[in-house]
Amino acid sequence: MSLVNFTTREITCKIVYYGPGRSGKTTNLQYVFGRVPESRRGRMVSLATHGDRTLFFDFLPIDLGSISGFTTRFQLYTVPGQSYYNSTRKLVLQGSDGVVFVADSQAARFDENLESLQNLQENLLEQGVDIRQLPVVMQYNKQDLPGDLVLSREALDDALNFREVQSFAADALHGSGVFETLKGISEQVLRRLAAGSAVG
Amino acid sequence: MRTLEPWVGPPLDAFLSESSARLVLLMTSAGQVVAQHGFARSLDVMAASALGAGIVASTAEVARLMGEPDFGALVHQGAGHGLFISSFDTPRGRWIALVVFGEDTTVGLVQLFFGRLCADLRAAAPPEQPRGPVLAEDFEHDLNASLHALFGR
Repeated sequence: MSLVNFTTREITCKIVYYGPGRSGKTTNLQYVFGRVPESRRGRMVSLATHGDRTLFFDFLPIDLGSISGFTTRFQLYTVPGQSYYNSTRKLVLQGSDGVVFVADSQAARFDENLESLQNLQENLLEQGVDIRQLPVVMQYNKQDLPGDLVLSREALDDALNFREVQSFAADALHGSGVFETLKGISEQVLRRLAAGSAVG
Repeated sequence: MRTLEPWVGPPLDAFLSESSARLVLLMTSAGQVVAQHGFARSLDVMAASALGAGIVASTAEVARLMGEPDFGALVHQGAGHGLFISSFDTPRGRWIALVVFGEDTTVGLVQLFFGRLCADLRAAAPPEQPRGPVLAEDFEHDLNASLHALFGR
């Protein structure tokens, strides 16, 4: 849940990148880390295996600047995508203000996307959070791959985006759609905060 | 020292002077910073906080698997610095303390005064006030300007 400090006028929000293994969650954060000016971001922390698979989480704090007189910071987390890391996924998901669901656009990975989305709903529910009440955006990553390998944004929307939330086509490796996605979730999280429904 | 709410300050001040700790970070169980002393950069505080919350969460999960109710505190002793991490209950929910100490004190003293810090915080917490909307009417304009400045599109 967001922390709001009225004395020092600071807001801190937690955004979690969720999705199946190798869908590009860490790549999203690495791209943001590489492009946001150093003065506006902290160090990126990655708890990964030797094979660079996320073991626990990646973490990147960014400073959004002043909004309505509040210094606004976002904490970006990723979860490990592989199915056997569910217990650590639950831990990272605790207290999240918004979720970016990073789907792998490859047709061959469709079942993993669906399984991960169901897992997200179950894990949120276990923490007493109804996914319908939480800001969520969808990112369909790897859209740069050959057309015969990937599903289109429209097809993925039909299959995965039951709530008709904002969705973005992306190629996180080269940056396409990364900032658009982050901007989309940032807007939703802060609008929810502005409405007074998520004040900690 | 920086604190999210003023009532946290005096108990934390007392802990710092009695325990001779060098760095202290108080956070929620989700890793949101509540108070800190000794860190130079706020964004570094967030990284330490995320890691501290991760350590406590994973340790609690191991305890659960072993059928233990809780492991209490965790201590790491390095060559020059020690690290003490523990979660504790407050009227504002479960918080976590991450304490870095040097050779001028001992883990025993840190642990001793940490118990007092927990009690002092519980006693000092005022009843929580309900809060209304946070951001003002210029929110939309500021949000768009900030997002544009940071993300450049």
